[in-house]
Amino acid sequence: MFCRHILQATNRLIGQSSMNIQYIGCRNIKRWVAPTMKELSRRRKKVGPDPNKPRSSYLEWNYDVELHCFQNRIGETFDKNILSEALVQREYANIQEFKAKEEGNESYIPEQHNYDLAKDGNAIISDYIKEEYSKNYPEEIAITVQKYLTTDEMLAHIAKHLGFTDLIKAVEYPLEERTLADSFKALVAALSLSSDLERAQLFVKDFVIAQMNGKDIYDIWTPEKPYEYVVKLLEQRGIKKVEPRLCNQSAVNTILANYQVGLYDSNNKSLLGIGWGENVQIAKDTAALDAIQRLYNSYARK
Amino acid sequence: MSNSHLFLKPAFITTPGQNGVGRYVCQLQRVVLKFCKNNGSSRGMREFIETKLMDFVKESPEVAVYVKPRRHRTPIIKAEYLNGDTQWVNARNFTEDEILKWLKLLKSQSSDRTGIRLRKLIHTDFPSVQGPWTPYTFRDPQLNKVEFPCPELTGPFINETSATEELLELYKRQKLGNVEESRAE
Repeated sequence: MFCRHILQATNRLIGQSSMNIQYIGCRNIKRWVAPTMKELSRRRKKVGPDPNKPRSSYLEWNYDVELHCFQNRIGETFDKNILSEALVQREYANIQEFKAKEEGNESYIPEQHNYDLAKDGNAIISDYIKEEYSKNYPEEIAITVQKYLTTDEMLAHIAKHLGFTDLIKAVEYPLEERTLADSFKALVAALSLSSDLERAQLFVKDFVIAQMNGKDIYDIWTPEKPYEYVVKLLEQRGIKKVEPRLCNQSAVNTILANYQVGLYDSNNKSLLGIGWGENVQIAKDTAALDAIQRLYNSYARK
Repeated sequence: MSNSHLFLKPAFITTPGQNGVGRYVCQLQRVVLKFCKNNGSSRGMREFIETKLMDFVKESPEVAVYVKPRRHRTPIIKAEYLNGDTQWVNARNFTEDEILKWLKLLKSQSSDRTGIRLRKLIHTDFPSVQGPWTPYTFRDPQLNKVEFPCPELTGPFINETSATEELLELYKRQKLGNVEESRAE
């Protein structure tokens, strides 16, 4: 095959006169091919893998189309200017402006960045999560859940799965979690500006609060001293005296020792919570945690 | 599971980022159709672009579609997912319908699933609602009142009579019967 190519090439080089040469098809591959390919692959290996380039540097990239698809993906419509503003990092905008100044480009219009929008968005997200959770839970749980859901890590995770990664204009690549989280916050603010606050809150509910699906609130929020906490909590509800009882024990004085402690109401002898542990103290704390969950869950059902 | 699946990476069904709990988000973010303008192997791809591409784009506005002609190379469908996966499909000599089917498959996937076999068609993070077993689960409440050491509880639980015992019993009964018969005579 290589032979034929070379013959054709030489034919072309020699000119019209050699067109009538009858070449005999040859089946071997020239001796220079293998060493050349080997050398090429050796050099390729020596250079190493290609650097990780941002998707926007590719030839097939159209930012407007990407923005259009992004809006359809999340099912919202935005004001075009506000949306593109929400996707610009502050450092990026500053550096672009600085570059334009250095070049002496006076007609340069500085790009809007998402710093202010991110602040507003953060307020919208935090307020809404707190509002939703304080319907069913006491304030301290609502605040803990809100803090858990608005960490940079969590918001960056959400943003990544909505396709922010390629759209954000930022200085660094790959993007930091903070940049992603800021853009997400800014997007929520942009949504409230483009449509209304309710729409933004619905967005937060669908994407941020949805992250709590399959997670237990009591894994996120745990009091430091559960027994003291539950005693205080029960006092508020009119149960003055709590009676911890050792209900069961097994394998005492072994490495697999196991105790079961139940907390009872002293007045009507009803069970408030039950828990297990490798010693009585731990079992008592576990029972207290169980009592807290029972109290708050009945509270949530109301 | 057949032999051809032995060396595939086993995996469970997953949903990236709680997709579908609030809203469904299409996980395919971008598709690049690469083809040659005059090579025969790209014929189906060219026909697809002429006739069916616009309908596909209208149907799925959340997917960015790029068309990239390049000379004398095999047509390729390159799909990019939200989780960062990239999947290449070699579309050599595909017909337009085949390409449409592949695109629909890519659109319904959440990541590159090639080289993966599902261990089960169902998966749950919480296999037990009841909670873990403890030494006190299903424990007889009567045991609370027992004082140890208790002779009934120290022996073996087996109450059935053995075959030997049964035979001895039969033998005794027979003997008694014989004595009674002889008396009657």
